[in-house]
Amino acid sequence: MARVKYRFNTPAGKVFDAVNVIVLIGVGTIAILPFLYVLAGSFATEYELTTRPFFLWPNEFTTDAYASILSSSVFVRAFVTTIVVTGVGTAIQLVLTALMAYPLSKIDLPGRRTIMSLVVFTMVFSAGLIPTFLVVKQLGLLDTYWALILPAAINPFSLIIIKNFFQELPKELEESAKIDGANELRILRSVVMPLSKPVLATFALFYAVGIWNDYMSPLIYLNDTSKWTLQMFLRQVTAASSLTAEDLGNELPPPAQGIKFAVVMVATIPVLLAYPFLQKHFAKGMLIGSVKG
Amino acid sequence: MATLIEAEAASGGADITQRPLNRRNVRETIVRYRWLLLLMLPGITYFVLFRFWPMYGAQIAWRDYIPFLGIEGSEWVGWKHFEDFFTNPDFPRLLGNTLILAALSLFIAFPLTIVMALLLNELRLNILKRTVQTLVYVPHFLSWTVVVSLTGLLFAIGNGPLWTGVNDLLGTDINFLTDPAWFRPLIVLQDVWKNTGWGTIIFLAALASVDQEQYEAAIIDGAGRWQRVWHITLPSIRSTIIVLLILQTGQILNTGFEQIYLMSNPLNRTVADVFDTYVYFVGIQQGSYSYATAVGLAKAIVGVILIFGTNWIAKRFNQQGIF
Amino acid sequence: MTPRKRLRAPLAILTVTGLALTAACTSGGDDPDGGDGGDSAGGDALSSLSIMAPYFAAVPPEEDDLIDQALSELTGVDLTVQWVPNTDYGERTNVVLAGDDIPDVMVMGKTPAFVQTAEAGGFWELTDYLNSGDYPNLVSENPEVQEATSVNGHVYGVYRARDVIRHCIILRADWLENLGLEQPETVEELYEVARAFTEDDPDGNGADDTYGFINPAWPGSIGSGSPYDAIELWHGAGNVWLEDGGELVPSFTTDEWMEAVEYERDLVQNGYTNPDYATMDPATWNEPFLNGEGGIIVDVQSRAPQLVELFREQDPENAENYVALVGQPEGPHGTFAMPTAGYSNFLAIPRSSVETEEQLEQVLQVLNDMNSTEAQILLNNGIEGDNFTVEDGYAVYNEDRQDFTDQVSGAWAQLGTNVAGYDAYSTQPATPYDEELAQLRLDLQAEDLENAVFNPAASLASETYQSSGTQLDTLISDARLQFVAGQIDEAGLQDVIDRWHSQGGDQVIAELNELYSELG
Repeated sequence: MARVKYRFNTPAGKVFDAVNVIVLIGVGTIAILPFLYVLAGSFATEYELTTRPFFLWPNEFTTDAYASILSSSVFVRAFVTTIVVTGVGTAIQLVLTALMAYPLSKIDLPGRRTIMSLVVFTMVFSAGLIPTFLVVKQLGLLDTYWALILPAAINPFSLIIIKNFFQELPKELEESAKIDGANELRILRSVVMPLSKPVLATFALFYAVGIWNDYMSPLIYLNDTSKWTLQMFLRQVTAASSLTAEDLGNELPPPAQGIKFAVVMVATIPVLLAYPFLQKHFAKGMLIGSVKG
Repeated sequence: MATLIEAEAASGGADITQRPLNRRNVRETIVRYRWLLLLMLPGITYFVLFRFWPMYGAQIAWRDYIPFLGIEGSEWVGWKHFEDFFTNPDFPRLLGNTLILAALSLFIAFPLTIVMALLLNELRLNILKRTVQTLVYVPHFLSWTVVVSLTGLLFAIGNGPLWTGVNDLLGTDINFLTDPAWFRPLIVLQDVWKNTGWGTIIFLAALASVDQEQYEAAIIDGAGRWQRVWHITLPSIRSTIIVLLILQTGQILNTGFEQIYLMSNPLNRTVADVFDTYVYFVGIQQGSYSYATAVGLAKAIVGVILIFGTNWIAKRFNQQGIF
Repeated sequence: MTPRKRLRAPLAILTVTGLALTAACTSGGDDPDGGDGGDSAGGDALSSLSIMAPYFAAVPPEEDDLIDQALSELTGVDLTVQWVPNTDYGERTNVVLAGDDIPDVMVMGKTPAFVQTAEAGGFWELTDYLNSGDYPNLVSENPEVQEATSVNGHVYGVYRARDVIRHCIILRADWLENLGLEQPETVEELYEVARAFTEDDPDGNGADDTYGFINPAWPGSIGSGSPYDAIELWHGAGNVWLEDGGELVPSFTTDEWMEAVEYERDLVQNGYTNPDYATMDPATWNEPFLNGEGGIIVDVQSRAPQLVELFREQDPENAENYVALVGQPEGPHGTFAMPTAGYSNFLAIPRSSVETEEQLEQVLQVLNDMNSTEAQILLNNGIEGDNFTVEDGYAVYNEDRQDFTDQVSGAWAQLGTNVAGYDAYSTQPATPYDEELAQLRLDLQAEDLENAVFNPAASLASETYQSSGTQLDTLISDARLQFVAGQIDEAGLQDVIDRWHSQGGDQVIAELNELYSELG
């Protein structure tokens, strides 16, 4: 079918479009300005940061803060570790979630309601840090990367939303695949998953961000400092402002503001960069019509 | 041309009553659903291992838990912690503050996310759409510590750009950071700033699933822009909205700890104290894990009741719930 | 196909697996006594020793780095340190104590959780061992400090010593000079300086853009070394608790305390304090001082050299003319000086990892060795000839090894106790001015130590306070600030103090006084 040209040429439509563009550009600017301040601050001197209230461009440009963070080989190692753990972990978590969401999207599955109720319960009540630690320990996962991935493998919230998306897919497609003799795993893989790309991309992002930003799991589960992820090092710098003098040894000054800002950038930019790659899956509407042929 | 709406009506609307399971047809059921059951096995194992097994630890709500003594070794104290919580003289105030913040989030932040998603969806210039999308999603990645210190900078007395701006506009001399009347507006503002863009992602994913042919057909039928939004776009995210709403009612007693803790100070504490900050003071700072667990359990029970209640209401109105 | 046979309806799977696992878990045992700390199984002598400690540096030391090797050699055991970021140390401690793989030595603070654990038998009591004289390097040079670390007279750890006097007043020296003012020696004079710094245009720019005191939002509540606590103590309100005729009374119930908070209120209400005193991030405390907005900081002495350093970046020529360091002032009812607790946490020895007395003695011997002069130098300075050299009895650091030096001062130094005195090298002052400043600090410490007012209840652990102390303390510190801000008046403040009494405060008073008469 040839694409019909959108017709938005009514005067009201034009006004709306113009207003919408202005509003959204405004919103986008407000969203990004504070971030730009942090970015500018990470390149500013300590003196400038203490004397100027708010700026978007440093008078004097310095990369000292980054140099002091990135000079250490430990950071490079932690960086690589974090990327690998995030990549592998996201894949595992997404697959496990999709595998469970699919059967639950079948409304005739016996026991479905019970399982869903239990899932909802785990969403509002989590057992807490210490009991979970004891379980991870008994499973022999301490000091392994699995401890960063498996305890959070299925987020109940993600499971429920993905299940709902699956539930809304047109049933005819699955039925016709079934008639062709495909089993459920095959239907999930070659019919349901391709049609659900936007939502799967969304939750891939949610999971990836979750692992990337997680500092509690490495703190609790990893003794071996050589296994530590980026957040273990970064949090130390950003959270140190709550120190009182008594905590510190005699002469240790607090970390400089510029380093804190640089740390925020180092922690944030890699995940920000992941977004445009996933974004294309949101933008592409699926063409059910053409799938159906 | 079958539309998504029809497909949804066919699946979601007709809620098949579940077949009672008796011993005779258990075997038959298993055979029939063997593939689905097999697919679910890893997931169920996960929930059993990492979500339910640790829950044996929830019994510390009825004990005076000391980590060194272990769970079973700690003294059994019955309902003491629950009683302490409910009879605490500050309880009504904590409940009030918590509910007000939850309501603000539900009635302001949540609808704004939907509006934002719809506006983004109406942007026709693709490059602009993508750019704005990326920009609004950035704030989510700044931690509350950073957001709160930036707020302090913007509302700094004397030289904060927003302190000057708003006070000039209102002709006042307000210290926004300590004035109890401004605590909630600031919390909502921060929440909207940080999370609205992020929240739109899930709706944009839903919108991406809309069959473009529907719009084309609607245009041929002469539907105007508003009609298309109302009859195609909104219905296509309706079930997502409902599910998110239901899930959010379950979180009504969870306000998030970090933001509120960081934004509170002695001068606005009367409105800033919520369950989560209170539990932090009593449970974590004083090392009473038992107390924290008891409060967590009480909150979870309320949450589950609310989720089931709203789910039931949604179904009464012929909407698809989460079950 | 076997899976089919095992499968029942999903619910059944869930139940069965759940039960099986619960059974496995309960039989798997969280037996708290079962732990053997890995390396110290049974009653054998230790060949290795694990220590858990916080670190402040950007990066923790690697296992078996130079210091680790040198210390292991010195103490004769293979030393392993589990470094935990300071910010999350408490969280990690609770989890570690819940497991059965507990380190042999842990840096612990006297938190409610520690007191509970210690009283339940989780840590060795060291009182008799430390007094036995077998461990000369662990004999405290300040018995009062050791007493203060104890829980009702029971010492559970080797404390990490800190200077007893650290509080002082830091003023803009150039402002004092511009206005022709002397350094304040009494609280009245201090008030007058604050007034003049606000109203008399100390920077001579013709604008009304300065104030006196710079107070940040304080992370702790009462008795946590805040400027407010210091002012109250100077007025004679005591240090958290005050002994009055053999009875302990909370300092905030005294007339002197009321007098002090009125003084604080006047400072705020007249604009002699920074307007954002309730919200200012303590991390930015130096900024108004540097920028010429405020001129008085009541804090630890070590802030003075920090400020000098910052002025040096900004104005190298005149850096020495900005900062005046003044000792604690005389109050209306006498001279009282604010001490610190004298320590910051202690090294405690868990009983579940160090099981026998022989092992305990061995661990104490290691801690004794770790407090020798040689070990102190390793922990505080590093490796001589590598990251520092000694000149005129001072340490001079090698700039090429700055990363290593940072790890020493930001991590290894955390294992130093220095209870019998600090024997490592001090950093060589960069200029004669720095040397002068360092000497001034020592003089002021000696002077203020004579007037130090210690908390008479520091070692006493009341049960009610353990369970609701944080709330009770916060009640008072919040009300204090609300009073200072003008949100509540004197009657309102009294209402809150009454509430403190009725919500558990009276019990705390009774319990503490009972302990006090028993142990005192």
